[in-house]
Amino acid sequence: MSSKEDKPVEQSQSSWKDFIYNPRSGEFIGRTARSWALILLFYLIFYGFLAGLFSLTMWVMLQTLDDYTPKYRDRISNPGLVIRPKAPEIIFNRSAPSEYKEYTDHLEAFLSKYNGEHQQNNIDCTPGAYFIQDNQPLPKQVCKFERSLLGQCSGITDQTFGYSEGRPCIIVKMNRIIGLKPKPTPFINCTAKKDDKLSVNYFPENATFDSMYFPYYGKLAHEGYVQPLVAVKLLLNSSDFNKKLSVECKIEGSNLLNNDDRDKFLGRVAFQVKVTE
Amino acid sequence: MGKKGDQYEVFVEMGRDTNGEMDAKIKKKKKVKKKEMLEGMKKEMEIDDHELTIEELEMKYSTSTTKGMSSTLAAQVLERDGANELKPPKGTPEYVKFARQLAGGLQCLMWVAAVICFIAFGIQFAQEDLTSYDNLYLAITLIAVVVVTGCFGYYQEFKSTNIIASFKNLVPQKATVFRDGQKSQINANQLVVGDLVEIKGGDRVPADVRIITAQGCKVDNSSLTGESEPQSKGPECTHENPLETRNIAFFSTTCLEGIATGIIINTGDRTIIGRIASLASGVGNEKTPIAIEIEHFVDIIAGLAIFFGATFFVVAMVIGYQFLKAMIFFMAIVVAYVPEGLLATVTVCLSLTAKRLAKKNCVVKNLEAVETLGSTSVICSDKTGTLTQNRMTVSHLWFDNHIHSADTTEDQSGQSFDQSSETWRALGRVAGLCNRAVFKPGQEEIPIPKREVIGDASETALLKFTELTIGNVIDYRGRFKKICEVPFNSTNKFQLSIHELEDPLDLRYLLVMKGAPERILERCSTIMIKGQELPLDEQWKEAFQTAYMDLGSLGERVLGFCHIFMNEKEYPRGYNFDTDEMNFPTSGLCFAGLISMIDPPRATVPDAVMKCRTAGIRVIMVTGDHPITAKAIAANVGIISEGSETVEDIATRLRIPVEQVNRGDARACVINGGQLKDMTSDELDDALRAHPEMVFARTSPQQKLIIVESCQRLGSIVAVTGDGVNDSPALKKADIGIAMGIAGSDAAKNAADMILLDDNFASIVTGVEQGRLIFDNLKKSIAYTLTKNIPELTPYLIYITVSVPLPLGCITILFIELATDIFPSVSLAYEKAESDIMHLKPRNPKRDRLVNEALAVYSYFQIGAIQSFAGFTDYFTAMAQEGWLPLLCVGLRSQWENPHNQEVQDSYGQEWTYSQRLYQEYTCYTVFFVSIEICQISDVLIRKTRRLSVFQQGFFRNKVLVTAIVFQLLLGNFLCYCPGMPNIFNFMPIRVQWWFVPVPFGILIFVYDEIRKLGVRRHPGSWWDKELYY
Repeated sequence: MSSKEDKPVEQSQSSWKDFIYNPRSGEFIGRTARSWALILLFYLIFYGFLAGLFSLTMWVMLQTLDDYTPKYRDRISNPGLVIRPKAPEIIFNRSAPSEYKEYTDHLEAFLSKYNGEHQQNNIDCTPGAYFIQDNQPLPKQVCKFERSLLGQCSGITDQTFGYSEGRPCIIVKMNRIIGLKPKPTPFINCTAKKDDKLSVNYFPENATFDSMYFPYYGKLAHEGYVQPLVAVKLLLNSSDFNKKLSVECKIEGSNLLNNDDRDKFLGRVAFQVKVTE
Repeated sequence: MGKKGDQYEVFVEMGRDTNGEMDAKIKKKKKVKKKEMLEGMKKEMEIDDHELTIEELEMKYSTSTTKGMSSTLAAQVLERDGANELKPPKGTPEYVKFARQLAGGLQCLMWVAAVICFIAFGIQFAQEDLTSYDNLYLAITLIAVVVVTGCFGYYQEFKSTNIIASFKNLVPQKATVFRDGQKSQINANQLVVGDLVEIKGGDRVPADVRIITAQGCKVDNSSLTGESEPQSKGPECTHENPLETRNIAFFSTTCLEGIATGIIINTGDRTIIGRIASLASGVGNEKTPIAIEIEHFVDIIAGLAIFFGATFFVVAMVIGYQFLKAMIFFMAIVVAYVPEGLLATVTVCLSLTAKRLAKKNCVVKNLEAVETLGSTSVICSDKTGTLTQNRMTVSHLWFDNHIHSADTTEDQSGQSFDQSSETWRALGRVAGLCNRAVFKPGQEEIPIPKREVIGDASETALLKFTELTIGNVIDYRGRFKKICEVPFNSTNKFQLSIHELEDPLDLRYLLVMKGAPERILERCSTIMIKGQELPLDEQWKEAFQTAYMDLGSLGERVLGFCHIFMNEKEYPRGYNFDTDEMNFPTSGLCFAGLISMIDPPRATVPDAVMKCRTAGIRVIMVTGDHPITAKAIAANVGIISEGSETVEDIATRLRIPVEQVNRGDARACVINGGQLKDMTSDELDDALRAHPEMVFARTSPQQKLIIVESCQRLGSIVAVTGDGVNDSPALKKADIGIAMGIAGSDAAKNAADMILLDDNFASIVTGVEQGRLIFDNLKKSIAYTLTKNIPELTPYLIYITVSVPLPLGCITILFIELATDIFPSVSLAYEKAESDIMHLKPRNPKRDRLVNEALAVYSYFQIGAIQSFAGFTDYFTAMAQEGWLPLLCVGLRSQWENPHNQEVQDSYGQEWTYSQRLYQEYTCYTVFFVSIEICQISDVLIRKTRRLSVFQQGFFRNKVLVTAIVFQLLLGNFLCYCPGMPNIFNFMPIRVQWWFVPVPFGILIFVYDEIRKLGVRRHPGSWWDKELYY
């Protein structure tokens, strides 16, 4: 019986070897060299043609695109809000500079592009009116946003942005969307979640993103564009220290969405602050 | 081999010797492996009880032929042997059957994928890192797919019921037994070996019985041996073969008339029928060819899925993804690559064909059998009841020195003979009067051939024949008042009756006689020719001999008829006819003619056999009936074609001994059971190879099984048709067993995969056609289904390697697999055949695979590749038009998928939140989905044909397919534009123009495939044909 069982195993082994390379017919994995050459040539042509077609269609498609504005903005009809420093939780000891240095450095770096030397070419626009330049030649002009507008949160007077006194500055920024024209002028309103009372100072004081910074004309056309910012100085008291505060800032007073169920960052942003002494 | 031989001996002993040392032997028997036991059972059964004298028999079973056994001994034997009933075999537990359905190759892969999903979901949940419930949905969907498919399969299996159940019904309820000299009625299952039993007409034989005394006892063996005539039973041993001898009556056969007593020699599972039952249930169900094909390619797909998954798991790990992430990639690749809807598609396609067949009276028990019929290369057909009507019918008459053919068709649609001759009137009168058979009452509405009759087979045939030709026979008999009669007996071999004449003025008596032709001729001195009585000289005797031989060689049973008008002076009215003394003339009669009878073939059979031949299918007759009858019917229906000769025919023609004939010259061959018994399996194989036209006669159930196995050894796919219990093992062993619905016994129906409701052999041809069509169409369907796996898989490969945002999600893939593409793939089952499939040879199961290399390569690397390019073109278009240029997409993945980054910049400097990016990703899924759908529409159109141009096949001829395309588009639109879809199933309402981006690729697919088909048609055998024809 045992010999009977062994035989097929040997056979299958030899047929396996034959499959890899069959010395009698010169077949390598079921095909002769000539056959392999033919089939590879066929696929070379086939895929070459397909790749060519793909490239052609992609090229045609790219030709139809505008260099300055995307064809559609279906998914981004409303802007998201983000904060600086870029962290969901801001936790520091106000008397330990090493703990908040990270945040202040980040703010400083972020605001550096608002420095005067970067905005020499930018112009002063008329507040309260859209700065429409659809028919203007390229590059489009940029409205000046002075860093000093951020007052105590500009980092000019207080280089620790209030972190050392336990009243940190948070800068709220609205995502850039080409052609977006908020109507009427939106402003930022920050509140504490739950029942905590929170008093804040806004810079600029009306907490608005002024209409003159809209619309945006895109990376290429609107080089050097500076986004308007709103700084929020959280006026924390000693009673607020040592506990986690949940703060939510919303964009209000305009047609921009701030209560989407799914997107928690559409027109609003939530973060937590905990300052220890 | 030696070992096996020994064990076989043990088994034979069992059959032969049932008393003494039984316990020891039962223990031995248990050691015998089941398989070897079956081998033993396939050999002829060894019974020698029929050759023993009564005294030896009494000794052997410690019984008495007058008083029966003693009750105490009977109780002991009952204890030892067990009850006289058939034991049901141990079945597989139901939960095991169900579990098996859930543990196939693809199913296991899907389980793994589901588990990975669960783990991923669990980890994300624990880390509070949950961005969506996709993984949970996915896991649930995967499990649902496996379970639903499993339930479907289980239900199919559940429908084919247990085989032994039907044998149970055969067990008689009560039996008359003698014990301690007392006659009593007991339950038949209490009978034991050695019991003396009495059997009367109408009883079922309670066990295998050796007959001791009998009076006119006739038994219907047709369910056991396939003989259409009842067999007389008597105490004398007439044949060494227990199946042929007269003095054994078998368990479960019916005693039609007479009375007999006998001693039980076997009970329960040891009876002949018990062995057939265990043979049938012991024969493993052969895997259907389509099941083998599907398993074959499912294994390949599962292997490839694991290979791809594992490769990219490793690649992902090397690139530096987390372990969990890499596992999710593995899962996603498995989901993308495995054709989840395929098994469902195959099942639905098969059940559609099954439905179509059911309309044509073929009921399929096992769905896969639908296709098996298409691959069938050999049909082993039983004769009685399958090829023939199982009804003795008058087929020929010889009178006026001429053989006349009678109409033997079932519905009397055939030609009748010339009935104007005076001789016919005389012959018809004898046939009508000398006949004791009568119709059962209350059958006036039923056509004559179908009416039930009391009487034996040949009298029945004559009754129906005369009823058809003369008209109302009972009335006719009334006009010729019967004075007396002598019934048929085996010594004088004739039957006569004496009648008054119809005309009251004619006072002569008429004596009519029928019987064995040579005996009748002996008693005649004249012969009636054209109404004239002529002296019966040598010339007429020779004419008679020739006619008798001719009719006999047709396998027909011939009866002779004669009459005499008795002189009114010698035999006046009131003459006292004494049937014992025979005080009336029984010689010097006037010969009227011969009538021959046969169980005629069904009208549709010859045509069906012819069609089978055209379709390259060999029809072999396997019957329990006699060789001459078998050969005659075979020749009649075309199983032995015109001009084909057997070795014996050639020998007779050339007047040389049989040994000198070159076997290769004989196309036909008739082998009977006795010869078959002495043949080794190699010899049988050789015989089957050498002679294309085969008839097996006098075969036992075991031999039928051996013949089927031999055909299967030669690589054929074998269909077996049959109706009797004796056919059931062969039906089970066959690749497809076909039972007769009306004539078939329950055992045969249960062993079969398919049942012909109208018993019409011709339905098999329809079945073959449908089977072949479904094989072709399944091929198309599978090709269609497999194609889209590539455009489903490539997004992941690109995603992992090039780190673009994911172009196609798992849930979307499941929607393609299980929703939109199911209907089109099923609709291909409605496609008409491309060529005349009934003129092709059956497929070679080794060479013509369902899924061959060319099909897979063409679907995957050519059509699938085009579809992938279509998908990516559309994907990059949708991304670019929304602000993400192709080059930016490359390497974007980590930023894109970071849920904490709400300000990712696109190519135009706009900033996107995570959710906005997610919806953009869903847009990509939808766009890719739409691309696959558009390409699949083109794909389903090209799959309509494999060789012909679609224009030749007809674009809109398959209405179901057109509907399916419309449905697919509507469903696609619904998924895209139904509100709420984005958050439930990740479909986005995409811009209309993105539907049109893949259209050029769809056109490319269509044009390319037309070019391929053109090349295949124009240059058969070329490189192009070999590489691209699937």
